[in-house]
Amino acid sequence: MNRKRTESLFIVSFITGTIIMLFCIYPLISTLFWTEPGVIFDTFKDKQVLQSIYLSMGAATITTIVAFILGVPFAYVLARKEFRFKSLVESIVDIPIVIPHPVAGICLLTVISPRSWTGQLMEKAGIEVLGTVAAIVLAMTFVSMPFLINAAKEAFKWVPPRMENISRTLGASHTQTFFLITFSLAWRDILSGMILTWARAISEFGAVIILAYHPMIAPTVIYERFTAYGMMYAVPVAVILIILCLIMFIILRLLAASSREGEIL
Amino acid sequence: MIEVKDLSLQLGEFKIKDFSLTIDMGEFFVLLGPTGSGKTVLLESIAGLKAIQAGNIYINKKEVTGKKPEERNISICYQDLALFPHMRVKDNIKYGLRFRRDTNKLKYEKNFETLIELLRINHILDRYPIFLSGGEKQRVALARALIVDPDILLLDEPLTALDSGIKATIEAELKNLHETLKITILMVTHDFKEAYYLADRVGIIKDGSIMQMGPIEKVFEQPDSIFTANFVGMKNLIKIYELKDKPVFQVLLKHVGETGAEFIGIRPENIVISNKIIDDSCSFLGIISHIRNNGIYREIDIISHGVEFKAYLTANSYNELQLSQGKEVFFGIDASRIAVI
Repeated sequence: MNRKRTESLFIVSFITGTIIMLFCIYPLISTLFWTEPGVIFDTFKDKQVLQSIYLSMGAATITTIVAFILGVPFAYVLARKEFRFKSLVESIVDIPIVIPHPVAGICLLTVISPRSWTGQLMEKAGIEVLGTVAAIVLAMTFVSMPFLINAAKEAFKWVPPRMENISRTLGASHTQTFFLITFSLAWRDILSGMILTWARAISEFGAVIILAYHPMIAPTVIYERFTAYGMMYAVPVAVILIILCLIMFIILRLLAASSREGEIL
Repeated sequence: MIEVKDLSLQLGEFKIKDFSLTIDMGEFFVLLGPTGSGKTVLLESIAGLKAIQAGNIYINKKEVTGKKPEERNISICYQDLALFPHMRVKDNIKYGLRFRRDTNKLKYEKNFETLIELLRINHILDRYPIFLSGGEKQRVALARALIVDPDILLLDEPLTALDSGIKATIEAELKNLHETLKITILMVTHDFKEAYYLADRVGIIKDGSIMQMGPIEKVFEQPDSIFTANFVGMKNLIKIYELKDKPVFQVLLKHVGETGAEFIGIRPENIVISNKIIDDSCSFLGIISHIRNNGIYREIDIISHGVEFKAYLTANSYNELQLSQGKEVFFGIDASRIAVI
């Protein structure tokens, strides 16, 4: 007699899971088969496309580094300290996630536009942001930084404060304890947060287009080709971006996974 | 020597006010108190991990009150051990050495060898903490805390998380470590049996205040409050006025004298039970009202002239006496060990 039994809730979960998988994967597969491989190959040689992809990847990487440098120390404080208005501060961190991205772009524009006092200050200092790579990074950082801060905050919370206490009593300073214990134990989850931040940054369009239509990032090129020439011209660029992003995403995930196996926890 | 003078701190609703304590060099001092009495907070404030609002802390007569934890030379071991999971056992143990300004490598290497021998952890040095048993983890945590030659070792309920079998072994090892290395230890626990086995002196703590402090036997035999008496397992707390109108118990009251006390306290292990009359002025006749089997011993409730007494018997004695509920027995009380509260 077969005693194996499947709970009905798991059957429901399996069905909804299959729907979600199809919902995520089918549009991607459909895009990949929309056009001929030869057209994709030709598009790959297109200088404008290549430049936009390089720019997207470069700006997303700079964004991730900036978010890491600024976000990790801040996340540590949020994980370890209780202070007045902490939940307000945490809500502010999450604001870029909840507001529409063109709105985020407009908000940033009010700060860097030459009509604003900050924009005028930058102009006087000879700093040009609008329509430059800096504007792209600014927009990407604004919308993607919460992912890194939240991931790092959760990672730090997972490290028991008592480990830090023991490290301190054994002679390590606060900074030494942070690097030798806290960060050493949290870095894998922070790396996952960095991957998410990078992915969010490279996919950003709404905020970037408000601050810098030129130089064009890959999503801007796709948008421009779609509105000017239609699907046939937009899809090959989209396919290239999908393939490259997936490759990068898989490599980074594998790196994170292999480092996790390398150390035993 | 460690001296805590008038230490005060507040953490939300919890308050410690004017807490003072002196522990001599090489002494094993146990702070005994229920959960939430402020034991861990006290340890952490002594170690510099929690900020205090007032008071002074001296280690070997040098004030360390304002110093950072890494400048105090105090080691701490928690109940959950907190071994560093990303380091092998040997790296866990040697962690503190990398911050020592004193570069006497030979001394610390000798410490390492001594500790791994005393704690019998030579065979697990290359393992990660995840592959250790509870007892092994505890030994590693102790070695890590002691390798740096701390002036005082703070132990926060170090035996609570262990299985009863391994607990006895670690308890014995802790005692051996203390006697061999002559280290000063301040341990907090809620288990009075641990305290009885390990402590030179104990302090009973409640809501951040010391209720009673003294040599272990004194506190256990002569508690000076109902709280302490309950906490140290003095099961017989009898109101004196209940005895006054019963002529049979006048002999007990004679030992109490006119002290103005409200209770007399008798430890259950200080009551002997017999089927024959006991040749002692402090012996009485009673009926067994209840027998509780605790595995290792039996807890016997005896009612005598309306007063309930509790006594402990080993399983062996219990079987020899062939006791049962409702049986009439004689019981004797060691009058010299009656506490007056």
